[in-house]
Amino acid sequence: MTGLGLLLLVMGAATLGPLLAPYDPQAFHPATRLQGPSAAHWLGTDQFGRDLLSRLLNGAPSTVYFGLGATLLGVGAGSMIGVIAGTAGGWLDSVIMRILDGLLAVPELLFTLLIVTFLGGGMGQAMLAVAIAFTPGMARIARSSVLSIRTREYVLAAVARGERAHYIVLREVLPNAVGPIIVEATIRVAFAIMIGATLGFLGLGAQPPSTEWGLMVAEARQFMFRNAWTVAVPGVAIAMAAMGFNLFGDALRDSLDPRRSR
Amino acid sequence: MSFYNVPRRSALLVMALALAVPNLGAAQGDPKMGGTLKISHSTRIATLNVLSLSGPAEYPVIDMAYSGLTRIGPDSQPMPDLAESWEGSADATEFTFHLREGVTFHDGTPATASDVVATFEAILDPDIPASAASVLNMIDTVEAVDDLTVKFSLKTPFADFPTSTAHANARIMSEEALAGDHAMLDTVVNGTGPFKMESYDSARITRLVRNDDYFIEGKPYLDAVEMHLFPDLAAETTNFLSGDIDVMLLVQQADYERISGAPGVNALRVPSGRYVNVVMRFDQAPFDDLRVREALAYAIDRQLLVDLVLEGLGRPAHDNILSPEFKFRIDTPEKSYDPERAKALLAEAGHPDGLKLDLVASNRPAIRAQVAIAIKQMALPAGFDINVETMPHDTYLANVWRKGGFYMAYWGMQPTEDATFNLLLTSNASYEDTGWMNDEFDALVQAGRSTTIESERADAYTKAQELMLAELPYIIAFYEDVLTASKEHVQGYTLNPINRYFYLESVWLDE
Repeated sequence: MTGLGLLLLVMGAATLGPLLAPYDPQAFHPATRLQGPSAAHWLGTDQFGRDLLSRLLNGAPSTVYFGLGATLLGVGAGSMIGVIAGTAGGWLDSVIMRILDGLLAVPELLFTLLIVTFLGGGMGQAMLAVAIAFTPGMARIARSSVLSIRTREYVLAAVARGERAHYIVLREVLPNAVGPIIVEATIRVAFAIMIGATLGFLGLGAQPPSTEWGLMVAEARQFMFRNAWTVAVPGVAIAMAAMGFNLFGDALRDSLDPRRSR
Repeated sequence: MSFYNVPRRSALLVMALALAVPNLGAAQGDPKMGGTLKISHSTRIATLNVLSLSGPAEYPVIDMAYSGLTRIGPDSQPMPDLAESWEGSADATEFTFHLREGVTFHDGTPATASDVVATFEAILDPDIPASAASVLNMIDTVEAVDDLTVKFSLKTPFADFPTSTAHANARIMSEEALAGDHAMLDTVVNGTGPFKMESYDSARITRLVRNDDYFIEGKPYLDAVEMHLFPDLAAETTNFLSGDIDVMLLVQQADYERISGAPGVNALRVPSGRYVNVVMRFDQAPFDDLRVREALAYAIDRQLLVDLVLEGLGRPAHDNILSPEFKFRIDTPEKSYDPERAKALLAEAGHPDGLKLDLVASNRPAIRAQVAIAIKQMALPAGFDINVETMPHDTYLANVWRKGGFYMAYWGMQPTEDATFNLLLTSNASYEDTGWMNDEFDALVQAGRSTTIESERADAYTKAQELMLAELPYIIAFYEDVLTASKEHVQGYTLNPINRYFYLESVWLDE
């Protein structure tokens, strides 16, 4: 429930945030720079006197949609590879999975950094990098669900009916394998948001004057001792977004898993 | 040999004696010998190649390990270093330097005139990348008269020559090292400076120890100096305040107040000519139109920029590339923030509906993007719709620097008017990036360097500055102070506005 609540809050901010922002997120208010919360600026102001609440709301879409986009890409590519490998079996399966095992050996964040270094910084590149980093793991999960379903009676029945391969995969296997994939994807959104923020923080993702949350933390860091709110506000927002997706994913798994009693 | 009776900088033509070295810093009591000075820095010491290095933490290392022919003192005047005295001919085309006797390199070989000749020949060799080349390109020949005398003949008269020989990248290296593989210069140090390299780890600690054979009797006071790298600024500050680091080489503006207020810390703020400049290329639209450049100049609130970006630790500038530290700097008219005037200028230039522009800022250091973002906001009411595009520094260097039409640059202070103009603005400047290519300006800069008569130099440099301010090759909104800090027990630590000379042989620890 907490997860759902946080998720709704974060998604609400991502959808409506820029409209709700009380100020132009880029506008300077030099007279009130580096201040804590006040009636005029609910979450305080940064180095240029920019309103932190407005910046936070404005940065919500790029932060949250980054996570969703990267995950969607990664899950799409991963599932496709996993389903192909799982259904085909034999040497193709072996070749694909050995390659992916190799990639899995590299930690995700490190892998992402590697790809970003190769592709160059920027939001689009970072998103692609996270998607690529997610692909091997997703492929493994998709493949294992396919493997457990491939020998089920209804699939065998379809084979016996002489259905074509793509029919079996799309109509029989995939709908039944999709549960674990969705659960995994939801949890991965949380990681994608955190990796995105990390990249922004390191200067490899979003670039100024973007209001992406990780970048906000990075820009505010040198003023941490002057006004802790500048770091705390985007930091807490990142944590809330990640936690929302994570808890929601957990709850989803519980409700989708028939073996778990509730 | 002839002597002039001319004040200040031209006095460098007059013989200077080693005895005249000013007493550096406000030391309390007699210096104590011994101890290790720990300096923290946040940028890598990537190379020790004197000819080409440019890193902020690399300069103190070579300042300790090497000596120049001359050196810039804390008063910004050339002082003796390896040369104990020098004199110039009446027409300032011939300079003779007399080296100290009995000086040896750290490996024990004597430092003689042939090493000086080899060093300057290497700097002038077009096949060797050398940062000092553009400042020393007036040298025609350099010859060793005897073991301790070096004579320079110049192509054109050049009054500031002993300042030029003090260039931080013109330290004297051994003839043997220069004859060998230059890749070795990146890591192997053999100088005549007060400290010898003991260990060099570009990713962690660089340690130098006392050179017992240093040519100034009794110096250095310290046994050793360690340069500690902290890639993370927050960690560096914390470590300086609570750890055993003695000197923080560069303090960030955001941290200055906190550091200067900390107990047991001396924070040092030196006004400098360091600046961030907006490059607007003359050969690309829309900045090929002077009115557009002027419009942007009036669309910037300079004092606000100092307050927001520098935390007040700097001075507003009004597009003069020379800061008030320069002798021949003219009084520069102030440009107030006037979006209406800017708008009118834009309309006059044929942009009544404003202009949409991409301003490129490299992501390192962050000050470039900060100034760009501030300019974007300030110029909005004037009709400039600026999109700030930040990019990795390497991408910027490869694709935008000296090519792009509108970007942020960042430069340190140069020792002389001539060096400043010839770094960026003359047609054959080392890093010419405006496309200005103004013959009249070139001639004025040339005139300023080729006479020793004070009034003529002042006249040439005044005209050059007036021309520059009229044509507006750059927008320069502020001069940034150099900030550093040391613990109270560190005595004699001082900085020069150019931030290339550190005088660590005069530092001692009062513990």
